[in-house]
Amino acid sequence: SAPCFSNGLPKPTNVTFSSVNMKNVLQWNSPESLRGAEVVYTVQYLIYGQKRWLNKSECRNINRTSCDLSYETYDHEEQYYGRVKAIWGKHCSKWAETERFNPWLETQIGPPVVALTPGEKSISVVLTAPQKWKRNAEDTSISMHQIYPNMKYNVSIYNSKTSKKWYKFVINYTLELSLLESETLYCISVQVYVPGPLRKTKPSEKQCITTLKDKTSELKV
Amino acid sequence: DEAVILPAPPDLSVHSTNMKHILTWSPVIVPGETVNYSVEYQGEYERYYTSSHWIPSSWCSSISTPECNVTDDITATVAYNFRVKAILGTQSSAWSTLKELFNRNSTVLTSPRMKIIKDGYHLIVEFEDMGPYFEFNVTYWKKSPNSQELYKIVREGGSLEHLVTMEAGAEYCVKAQTVVEIIERSSAFNQVECIRAQDESHLL
Amino acid sequence: LRRCLISMDIHHMEKSFQGIKTAVQAKDSFQNITILSASETLYNITSSDVCCMTKDVLQFYVDKVFRNHEESDPRIQRGLSTIANSFLHIRNALEQCRSQKNCYCRKETTSKFQLIVRNYEQMEVKAAAIKSLGELDILLSWISRNYQPKATT
Repeated sequence: SAPCFSNGLPKPTNVTFSSVNMKNVLQWNSPESLRGAEVVYTVQYLIYGQKRWLNKSECRNINRTSCDLSYETYDHEEQYYGRVKAIWGKHCSKWAETERFNPWLETQIGPPVVALTPGEKSISVVLTAPQKWKRNAEDTSISMHQIYPNMKYNVSIYNSKTSKKWYKFVINYTLELSLLESETLYCISVQVYVPGPLRKTKPSEKQCITTLKDKTSELKV
Repeated sequence: DEAVILPAPPDLSVHSTNMKHILTWSPVIVPGETVNYSVEYQGEYERYYTSSHWIPSSWCSSISTPECNVTDDITATVAYNFRVKAILGTQSSAWSTLKELFNRNSTVLTSPRMKIIKDGYHLIVEFEDMGPYFEFNVTYWKKSPNSQELYKIVREGGSLEHLVTMEAGAEYCVKAQTVVEIIERSSAFNQVECIRAQDESHLL
Repeated sequence: LRRCLISMDIHHMEKSFQGIKTAVQAKDSFQNITILSASETLYNITSSDVCCMTKDVLQFYVDKVFRNHEESDPRIQRGLSTIANSFLHIRNALEQCRSQKNCYCRKETTSKFQLIVRNYEQMEVKAAAIKSLGELDILLSWISRNYQPKATT
């Protein structure tokens, strides 16, 4: 792109990586004083310890304030920097950089997929681990469980009849809740748990399901 | 060091229960004046690998009570030393230090407060939240001839954790102890508590 | 390594570092140099060599890295003190493993450790120390992953 003069144009602010399941998106705020102006942005990234900053061609002269760098930061064993500068006509700002980004430590682990099947006095819970972001749709999926082997699930079970909510730690993917009350609404949410400080995880949406009518009680009446 | 006029605070000692560590000393009394104190600490690293460097305590750089919560300063399982000086205006006392170094693996561990409830056939247990270092080793059994003891680790206090799905009409008993992995110690077991599952008829 | 299980406060160390990471890494102006070179050193270690590599790297940090960094900010001092004293505790525990003859160093592991020392010594000593401190998250993650069963608080 045409050279620009770095002469005092204010830099973008709050340049950070937003990361969920290793989908790593660089995001920033536009400079205060240039809000509304025709500003475009150009992004680069650096693999920590390597010589040169590299261009992200799809994020050259863009007018949005985010850029998906998941492909470039796919190796979660490395650390990265991202930087962005503002361009307005012939003028451009200095680079604004992120802190050093460590995907393995900083990505938020999304919720598992939760499938519930009601029985008369039971609910079967089947969990599918969240998947790492994929470069190509046809790539084989990598479960976040492979990346965090000591990952567990904290299942919360709310009994709407007794208004009691309790938790059950689960390591594998299936859980059979037995000897429940029939014809009762139970609400279940599951959150990934990975030992470690400030490990960000997101609980699954609460799902409510009613256990079936108890056929044996009908026979006895 | 500054001019030594005030007496150094005497009787420095650490009292530690359930990984909460409190440094105490006897007050320095100056009639009609408020004496402040400053606390610093050093671990094994500072003693042997630096020229005996001291670090300002997290919460007690200038306090007026003769006591300081040093839990956030003692963050490794090594021997720590503390020093305290009295401050009055521009005057400071000499530092006084611990007679014996303190290691957190000597903390007193009390048995955990526990609550057991039932939700239908489900036996639920709840422990007090004792902080990030504490897990709970739970032993439970059905009260019947030749019943078997079962074990479960509850990772944290402060929430209702499912323990077992009970048989109709059976009585179950539970006891627990705290486990602090990083000092490789456990508390004594608490009082056994029992609860009876409702009969099958209840649910029809 | 699992033959040499030690209990450690890995999560508190990670938490301590997380609190000072921004300040410490900001003092490192050489973004294009790494000392740990984790992909060539740490991530290539077989589990039987983890104990020896841990012992050598922790000793390196205690003897050289923490010593060559003077810190005036009490908050950062406390964070580094937590990690330095925890490293001492782990190293003392690993010494007992060594005496039980299950923490020995194979040649290729020793050469990987020497690569770390060479990287360190190619830099000016204060810059090398602050860079190594900034790479503590890499080291702590590697320790956490390799001491999984016991590395919990």
